[in-house]
Amino acid sequence: MTAAPAPSPWGRIPLGWRILLVVLPWLLLLGAIVAVAVVLVGPPIVDVLAANTGIVRFVLAATVVIVVTIPTAFVIIFMELKVIARMNLRIGPDRVGPFGAAQSVVHGLKVLSKEDYTPRGVDVPIFTMAPVAAFLATIMGLVAIPFAPGLVAVDFNIALLYFFAVGGLNVVGLMMAGWASFNKYSLIGALRAAAQAISYEIPLTLSVVGVIILAGTMSLTSIVGQQAGSFLDWNLWKQPLGLVIFFIAAIAEANRTPLDMTEADQELVAGFATEYSGMRFGFFFFAEYVNVFVISALTVVLFFGGWNAPFDWPFPVNVTLDPASLGSWLLPVVILVPLVGTAVLSVPIRLAFPKLNDTLSFVVGFVLFNLVAVGALAAWAFLSFDEVVGLVWMMVKTYAFVFVFVQMRATFPRVRVDQLMSFAWKWLLPAALLNIFVTAVAVSILAKG
Amino acid sequence: MVPGLGLLKGMGLTLRRFFEPKVTIKYPEVEPDIAVKFRGRLQLLYDEHGTLKCETCFQCAQACPIECIDMGGTDTETRYAVHWGAAETYGERREESALRRSGAPVPDAPYTRFAPVDLDAVEAILEAHDHDPHRMLSILEDVQAAFGNLPVAALKHVSNRTGAWYAMIYGTASYYRHLRFEQTVEEVAVCRCTACLLAGGGRVAAALGEGLRAEPGRTTPDGRIRFATCPTHVPDAPSPLVTLDGEPQPEVRPETAAAWARALMGDHPASRTVH
Amino acid sequence: MAPPTRQSLDDPGRTIPVDHAGIFDAIPDARTERQREFYDLADGEMLLNMGPQHPSTHGVLRVILKINGELVTDLDPVLGYLHRGVEKICEYSDYQQVISQVDPLEYISSLFNEWGAVLSFEKLLDIEVPRRAEYIRVLSAELNRVASHMLFLGWYALDLGGITPILWSFAERDEIMEMLAALTGQKLLFNYFRIGGVNGDLNHEFMSRLSDWMSRAGDQLQAGMGLLNENEIFVRRARGLGVVDRETALRMCVTGPNLRASGVPFDLRRAHPYSVYPELEFDIPTRNEGDSLARYLIRIDEVRQSLRIIDQCLHQMPDGPVSAKLPRLLRPRPGRAFSSVEAPRGQYSTYVISDGTDQPFRMRIHDPSFLHLQLLGLLMPGNLVPDTMAIMASLDPVMGGVDK
Repeated sequence: MTAAPAPSPWGRIPLGWRILLVVLPWLLLLGAIVAVAVVLVGPPIVDVLAANTGIVRFVLAATVVIVVTIPTAFVIIFMELKVIARMNLRIGPDRVGPFGAAQSVVHGLKVLSKEDYTPRGVDVPIFTMAPVAAFLATIMGLVAIPFAPGLVAVDFNIALLYFFAVGGLNVVGLMMAGWASFNKYSLIGALRAAAQAISYEIPLTLSVVGVIILAGTMSLTSIVGQQAGSFLDWNLWKQPLGLVIFFIAAIAEANRTPLDMTEADQELVAGFATEYSGMRFGFFFFAEYVNVFVISALTVVLFFGGWNAPFDWPFPVNVTLDPASLGSWLLPVVILVPLVGTAVLSVPIRLAFPKLNDTLSFVVGFVLFNLVAVGALAAWAFLSFDEVVGLVWMMVKTYAFVFVFVQMRATFPRVRVDQLMSFAWKWLLPAALLNIFVTAVAVSILAKG
Repeated sequence: MVPGLGLLKGMGLTLRRFFEPKVTIKYPEVEPDIAVKFRGRLQLLYDEHGTLKCETCFQCAQACPIECIDMGGTDTETRYAVHWGAAETYGERREESALRRSGAPVPDAPYTRFAPVDLDAVEAILEAHDHDPHRMLSILEDVQAAFGNLPVAALKHVSNRTGAWYAMIYGTASYYRHLRFEQTVEEVAVCRCTACLLAGGGRVAAALGEGLRAEPGRTTPDGRIRFATCPTHVPDAPSPLVTLDGEPQPEVRPETAAAWARALMGDHPASRTVH
Repeated sequence: MAPPTRQSLDDPGRTIPVDHAGIFDAIPDARTERQREFYDLADGEMLLNMGPQHPSTHGVLRVILKINGELVTDLDPVLGYLHRGVEKICEYSDYQQVISQVDPLEYISSLFNEWGAVLSFEKLLDIEVPRRAEYIRVLSAELNRVASHMLFLGWYALDLGGITPILWSFAERDEIMEMLAALTGQKLLFNYFRIGGVNGDLNHEFMSRLSDWMSRAGDQLQAGMGLLNENEIFVRRARGLGVVDRETALRMCVTGPNLRASGVPFDLRRAHPYSVYPELEFDIPTRNEGDSLARYLIRIDEVRQSLRIIDQCLHQMPDGPVSAKLPRLLRPRPGRAFSSVEAPRGQYSTYVISDGTDQPFRMRIHDPSFLHLQLLGLLMPGNLVPDTMAIMASLDPVMGGVDK
């Protein structure tokens, strides 16, 4: 047996330093290359981008929308787990993360790691493309939703029309899945989805005609803008019947209980998704949950004032803090404030808790400072920028509706498929037409008078 | 009746339940409140001295309607192994688990070969062969000559010192017929033919049985010597005939049999060469 | 003429020639007339196999539906996936062992299975059961009836797509089960009744749990049922679904709540009283509609009546022994005995023949769920696929009892 090799200098360096020693030169090299590239080809690229702002904006917005769907779906899945559990007198997920908040992430990872099985006899290309189609339709709908003034991916002037046109595509994905799955349950689920979509697209579209008549436009940003003011200015009061019809039809559109015919598990096992597994199955449910979000957001935009606050804040706070006015003093402020803040916060902790040593109290002070700083930044942003205020109100209202969707799932049994159809054609459609008629008459009378 | 009122009432009810206390028991943190009378635990009870309370009375096994209880142990005077259940299907498992449940030590067959041996002898043999794994056959023959068989502990030691894999040593040892792992089992046989019986074979058998402390057909308590009966009378052999490993032993007479058997019992196998 | 082909399952683009003159053509068509009628599909019809692995078939019932669109035109129920030969096993067990053998038949309400067996054995052995034992039997069995009905109420909502009632019901049912575990020592298959009495007297733990629960049971039932009873979606789905009229119910030997939902006030506790039921006050709720909603609501009424009975049992509980003095080995004289009890699902009967040994010579168990399943063929055709399982669930079969 040979003697162990003498430890080289490399072997004596700790692991962290070793990684740093490998990575740092590469980073420096990369930084140098980027710097040179920016100097050499930066200006022409900036020129090209500036000349095509529309395209850049669209690409950026589409990317953001696609990325944003991931946390949205996770939040809604977590709500679905936790809210329904609490209504069932259960606790729900509470092991992963605080209050089980990471449970949906773990679910996502589980779905990712499962086998992506293609059963025998399926129509493979269509079977593979169906989840993509279903997901794409949802994403395309999300593009048109205005979240805050200026914070909309694409600001159409016919956004509402576009939305309903794209929303109808969702059923294509479900039909593809059901037809290609080579399974009778899937087939029935898909045909139900098609019948349901045909029945409910009509009252859904007709129910917002009243809003369009009132607004005189199909641009969602304009519709939201016209609802500015207090909550008394929202379309909710002008179109109560339209709201009810829209909401019922939206439930069917989003395939949610009590109108979730397509995946009625007590009848059709899992409907169109029976034969799917792994991430393909995951995409269907990704699409479903994002769809819930989109439908909730659209309800808020059309009837609940979108990003408008429900009331004016009675004590206006006028923050005139403009960081740019500091000029070159900004840099020392950015560097010094964390140090000073941490020190100021850690000294009383050190004095108040003798058990903590210097390092620990410094760490606690740092954490506290971060919390304070983030809170202060958020408050400053909330007070200074209309976009942030609008986004916050929009999200609050949207998630309130998502909560209602989830609560309905916990409360209601499922409607039978023929009752669903007859309700759509015999009640919702006449009511929607009545709503249009009354609105049109009222608007014309008011215009005359 | 307002349409939709029932739906709204249901929504209100679920919203109220949202805030009500929950019925879930967080199991590992909170022990569930199990009734005192609960019969779901399957366990044998010990008394306050730590002695097993089960007396192997079989009453539970007898009463079990679905016959899921099988059990075994020793009788009250710990003389006979007793068991209950379908022996033809679960015999082996039953023997072991019954012993375990009754608190008796369980012989573990796969490990009995690992009994420690005197490694100095092995070391000397290895020194003589210069720890050379190429001369493994000679080493193994010498080890067998020293111990009478190949003890597992000795083979492990050989493997350690020569650097040869234990699996290869085992392969070598199991390939050659003259190498063996098991302890020497000598067979003392008594002929039961009429001629031998007339010449005092019965008395010889009785004396041998007493000396070897074994019934005919059984092994001695240390498992080293088997006490058997000859299948046939060996030709040209005196009567009464006693054989040791097939060799007739003419010196064994009815009067000397007991002393011979005692000498045989005191004889250590490691000190004898193999035939 | 080109040979006929069919599409390959593995590769849909490939066709495989089909040789019609195969060896199977030589085999005569062994199907019965009914099978031929069922399996020969008309244009637009499709067979849909529901179960035994299906989210809502209540265990292992398998129903082959012949559907036209979503309309069920015909069906073929397949039973026997849970058959264990309990009756035969009972013939190889002695009389005390039979009690635990019949436990898992209607596993939702196993005290009634024991009661049926014990009642017939007591008739066979001519044993007088102490009055306290009878009261304890009634008390525990009525608790078990409440638990069973609670499970049905949640289950039925689940089969209609509501996910919450089942969990609320299970919370109630679990309290009762824990209570009975304190009394009997087991949570599901109690094995509590003995020939001539019960195994163990009432204990403090059981009584404290019971009084705790009784103080709020009525209110909790009322509150929980508020979710569904007024829910328009639920009522509209269940009303007029699977109507069994009075004559059909009597003709098809329907018993229990299903019969009473059709307007026949037949209850074995009153019609052929056993145990101490004559001494107790309770009503027999009936409804005349005979549909799923009536079968659902009548179980809520029965839970209320059971609570009344439990209350009376607690007040009238006499003192005394809980088990008759019996020899260790029971050898009834040769003869036969029949007994019926009013189980949560209907008339549960046991018929036992003794040949003088310590084991029953023959034991026949009659379970109501089996007869109720016969109604499927009458009720399901003409309904939609979503309603098939709703109708099946409203009859409340337990496959453990059906397949035995």
